[in-house]
Amino acid sequence: MPLLAADLRRTNEVRRYPMLAYALVPLAALVLQAWLPRVLGSYSWFDLPLVVTVYFALDRRSPIQGTLMGAGMGLFEDALSHHAIGVNGIAKTVVGFLAASIGVRIDVENHTIRLAMNFLLSLLSSALAVFVSRILLGLDLEWRWFTVLFTAIGNSLIALILFPLLDRLQIRD
Amino acid sequence: MESFFARYRNLVVLLAILLAQIIGLAVQVRRTSDGRSRLDAGDSSGVRLIRYWAQALVSPPERLIHSSNLGAAHLWQNYLDLRDVRQQNQDLQKTIDRLRLEQAALLEDAKQGQRLQALVNFQQKYIYKTVVAQAIGSSGSDQSRVFYIDKGAADGVARDDAVITPDGIVGKIRDVFPHSSQVLAINDQSSGAGVILETTRIRGILRGNSIGQSQIVDILADKRILKGENVLTAGGDQIFPRGLPVGTVEKVVNDPDPGRDGFIDVLITPAAHLDRLDEVLVITSTEPRFSPQQQQDLATSEAEKGAEAAAIKEQQRASQINAERLPSLIDPKLPPDQQPLLDTSNPNPVAHPPQALHPDRFTPGAGSAPGSGAATDETTQDANPAEPDSAVKPGQPKPSTKPAQPPQKKPQTNQPQTELPKKVQPQKPPAQTGPPPATPPQTNQPQANQPGRSN
Repeated sequence: MPLLAADLRRTNEVRRYPMLAYALVPLAALVLQAWLPRVLGSYSWFDLPLVVTVYFALDRRSPIQGTLMGAGMGLFEDALSHHAIGVNGIAKTVVGFLAASIGVRIDVENHTIRLAMNFLLSLLSSALAVFVSRILLGLDLEWRWFTVLFTAIGNSLIALILFPLLDRLQIRD
Repeated sequence: MESFFARYRNLVVLLAILLAQIIGLAVQVRRTSDGRSRLDAGDSSGVRLIRYWAQALVSPPERLIHSSNLGAAHLWQNYLDLRDVRQQNQDLQKTIDRLRLEQAALLEDAKQGQRLQALVNFQQKYIYKTVVAQAIGSSGSDQSRVFYIDKGAADGVARDDAVITPDGIVGKIRDVFPHSSQVLAINDQSSGAGVILETTRIRGILRGNSIGQSQIVDILADKRILKGENVLTAGGDQIFPRGLPVGTVEKVVNDPDPGRDGFIDVLITPAAHLDRLDEVLVITSTEPRFSPQQQQDLATSEAEKGAEAAAIKEQQRASQINAERLPSLIDPKLPPDQQPLLDTSNPNPVAHPPQALHPDRFTPGAGSAPGSGAATDETTQDANPAEPDSAVKPGQPKPSTKPAQPPQKKPQTNQPQTELPKKVQPQKPPAQTGPPPATPPQTNQPQANQPGRSN
């Protein structure tokens, strides 16, 4: 009975978006992530595909959907780079799964929680990428801790602005 | 089993996806012989296909953003971000105006510099002492073709100094002030200069007419005068040195005076641009100005010439001494009939003409032997053309015709010697190239009555 109540509450709180939003928002995130570094140069301390993955995983509250979205976004990022395809895929797969799993249990409407979730999941994503590259694959991957930190801060700030905008796209009954 | 997958569905999916990606990574990474891992240098076909799909999906939006970014930047820069453009435009317009003025001034300075350079070059090569002057004003009247220059008495300019340019003569100094002078141009009606046609060597007087044209007046018609012939200064007017370019023959017209048939006026195109004068040269001294090298050459020449003259004189003196010592055909101490070489043995002496029965002025020896008794007083007067009219005795009528009067010396050698019109008389010998004293325009010139000084 409590489980049923929880499922009912989760079902009622699941947000739905137009199919076009599921297609265009991740695509826009990937395109902007590929284009903005050309404009901003070395100050591109953000990871838009990760922010979008976290948003949809939190709001959809489906670990499988979050996992799939994270995997897809990560693999897409890897495909646009010269690195091995799968490094970011594994990291964002885990991030999507965790975000969706956490979203079931916490109130994602709170901006502070969103900010903290993005910050922590960004650090986790970077850590997973470094882990996969250096430990799992044994590749010589240069990384700087302040870059990881600035990227996490950047993702959090972007999420503060982007999440309210994306909330407007959801389908309300 | 079914319940296990249903219960751990999320984890199973996660692990499956992670496992698939790890396998994919394992395919891409190779371990080298030294135990280090590295990516394949070339992607496999599967990886390459994935990269191609990703690129094909991202490239069009990127291209769209790039083009729209250019368009947005263009729109922003050219249509929206136009603050202070009006002020900038005004400032730029002012700058352009200022630069145009500066450019015009610089251009004028450059032209003036070129003219002055040409003038200086001419002045350095010119043999007479000259002063460079700038034309600063004019009379402002078409009837008075004078202009003013910025050099005066303080600069050594004197009255009647010639004013020239490298192209040709301009005029002469008419009035001198302390720091400026008035120049009478050669195309003024009261001006005059002795000129000579370069090819035909016909001399004449150059003066201006009422419309400001320069013309050579009062010369006899000559078919040899052709258009384009150069006209030079004759040098007899004591103003312009001889040989300076005056202009070229433009046209030959008949003398407008109906009573002067056979006389022509030759219109001249001045060599100097009389209506566009800027810088001129004033000849302040006609003393030859030689360079030190030229002076040294002259001294050497004079020294050599003096030695040669002394040698010739010595030779002449020796010849004279020899002539005195040697026997001569004619002894100056003896009368003519006792000369030692008088030969009376010739049976056919030279026949002398018989004595004229009625000697006249053509009779040989009539002029040299007035007291021969055969010539009358009238004949004596006619036979001596050099005798002035005052030689006629008082009371005797002056002969109406002057057949024995020597023909007038004409500068134009081509002029016929028969029946000269009465107005031929004002023409002067070549040395006097000034205007005839009978012409009224020279009355305002103080030097008009001086010989050789023309206006």
